[in-house]
Amino acid sequence: MILPVPTAHYMALSVLIFCCGAFGVATRRNPIVMLMCIELMLNAANLGFVALGRHFGDTGGQMLAIFVMAVAAGEVAIGLAIIVALFRTRETIDVDRVDSLRL
Amino acid sequence: MSGSSRFIADLSALYPALALIGASGLILLVMPFLRRCGGNSGSATISGLGVLAALALLIRLPGEGFGATLFAETLVTDSLSTASAFVLLLSGLLAVLIAQSYLKVREIDEPEYYAILLLSMAGAYLMLLANDLLILFLGLELMSFGFYAMAGFARRDGRSGEAALKYFLTGAFASALFLYGIMLIYGVSASTEFAKIQSAVAHGALHTPMGLAGMILIIAGLGFKVAAVPFHQWAPDVYEGAPTSATAFLAATAKIGAFVGLIRVLDVFAGGSQTLIPMLRVLAIATMIYGNLVAIAQTNVKRMLGYSAVAHAGYLLAAMVCVAMHYEGTAGARTNTAAMSASVFYLLAYALAGFGAFGVLAYLSSRDKDVQTLDDLRGLVQRDAPSGYALILFMLSLAGIPATVGFIGKWQIFYAVLIGGDMTLAVTIALTSAMGAYYYLRVVWYAAFESASGPDAPRQVGLTGAGLTVFVSAFATLLLGIVPGLLTGFLQVVK
Repeated sequence: MILPVPTAHYMALSVLIFCCGAFGVATRRNPIVMLMCIELMLNAANLGFVALGRHFGDTGGQMLAIFVMAVAAGEVAIGLAIIVALFRTRETIDVDRVDSLRL
Repeated sequence: MSGSSRFIADLSALYPALALIGASGLILLVMPFLRRCGGNSGSATISGLGVLAALALLIRLPGEGFGATLFAETLVTDSLSTASAFVLLLSGLLAVLIAQSYLKVREIDEPEYYAILLLSMAGAYLMLLANDLLILFLGLELMSFGFYAMAGFARRDGRSGEAALKYFLTGAFASALFLYGIMLIYGVSASTEFAKIQSAVAHGALHTPMGLAGMILIIAGLGFKVAAVPFHQWAPDVYEGAPTSATAFLAATAKIGAFVGLIRVLDVFAGGSQTLIPMLRVLAIATMIYGNLVAIAQTNVKRMLGYSAVAHAGYLLAAMVCVAMHYEGTAGARTNTAAMSASVFYLLAYALAGFGAFGVLAYLSSRDKDVQTLDDLRGLVQRDAPSGYALILFMLSLAGIPATVGFIGKWQIFYAVLIGGDMTLAVTIALTSAMGAYYYLRVVWYAAFESASGPDAPRQVGLTGAGLTVFVSAFATLLLGIVPGLLTGFLQVVK
């Protein structure tokens, strides 16, 4: 008999992915990689939603994940557009060199 | 009531948002024709009419179904949502006016700006009505997407792009934190509906590590949007780099949406965890002190107003502490409603003074000169008396000097904190307000008592949109400062 994977395991994986994403945003300096790390954080939340939805026997969790996917797609579109627009004026997108506004 | 008539009845609460989205769609639809005709005043007119229509629909709204939950408990219309939506749409009108002339002068007058502005407002409107964490998240994202695009709207200006990138990266990170918080709260309450979360909280859901982490992440996510310390780093950069019209809009709208969202969330979490009130109190005190302290050193007015926005977020967070005192007896309930009313009034006061101050900067800007430093304002009263005196009025209102609306707002928050019995917060508000007066009065000094440094740059004359924004804001700032009871019927939050 095959036992289903316990929800706690999914949650542990979700926390791990979320921490990887947050760590990446904090340490990486390329905005495209930072954007990917933010996506990682959103997907960690999605994994949690789906796993918890199964745990509660509630389809709401899966529905939430689909909403989040749509939002994430919009976020990527805006983020890449901003990066392209910035590259055209600056010729660089490294966040350490984009510093004409004082920090 | 049958399903479809129920749907129609529920939909009426969303008419203002639909008017905004409709106007936005109309602009995108007729844009090619507007472009061919040369002028672009059409899209400003359409968006202005759209916001006016939304205001009219909102004022008509109270009546049947008031105070009810709609669409299977996902939305709610109550006095808080109506009052804050009134403030939101009013500031939306000023945002359209200020953009009408500023974009033209800066030669970035594209119809898309107005379409994005209206969609962003619709997102904020959705946040005000949210009765479900998912709706709150979707509204927040729709609002923020507009902000990112508007911050980077001056595409040829590298500083604008930089502001957009910084805002986007921190904002998207904050959204991810917020979403993860929602997921954890879903994990302890098996629902994202506020009512069900509230009953789970009453059964001790926030005492589990998962619930506690969820609560902290949700507050952190909203804290980013309102620029609370320690999540404030983006604010000065974005305020300085974004086009002045966009700065004015996002300063007011982000605060309205995120603080009303915070009120709703805190109302749900109140009494569920011992760490909630101390945590908010630390956030409020740190935000008030840091914002006021660092603003003193600024020479760029837009950047100074960015730090001032941090400081004002601190005062509003002090009101949030009182909102979270929900379950501590009858005094707690009184504090709770007083703090909610005070917050909505304060948001109006801040929006008026903010639009006024940014409006003066936009009004003075010309094609070659984007007015934003203290030096640019030297001797303004001699050069252009009306805008000079108006700027002084807005600075006094932001500082909270009596006879301006800013004083009334700050007094209401102070009063709510006093009846909440939190002396530390009350003393911090008083002390940091005195600190804040210094840098606002420095702007007054430059405008009134320094002499002009050079010849005036040529600029638009006559009644411009920005000029109208300044006029309307100055009028309302004075009027509500002297007769604060005028809008009580609209702005009072009752339970």
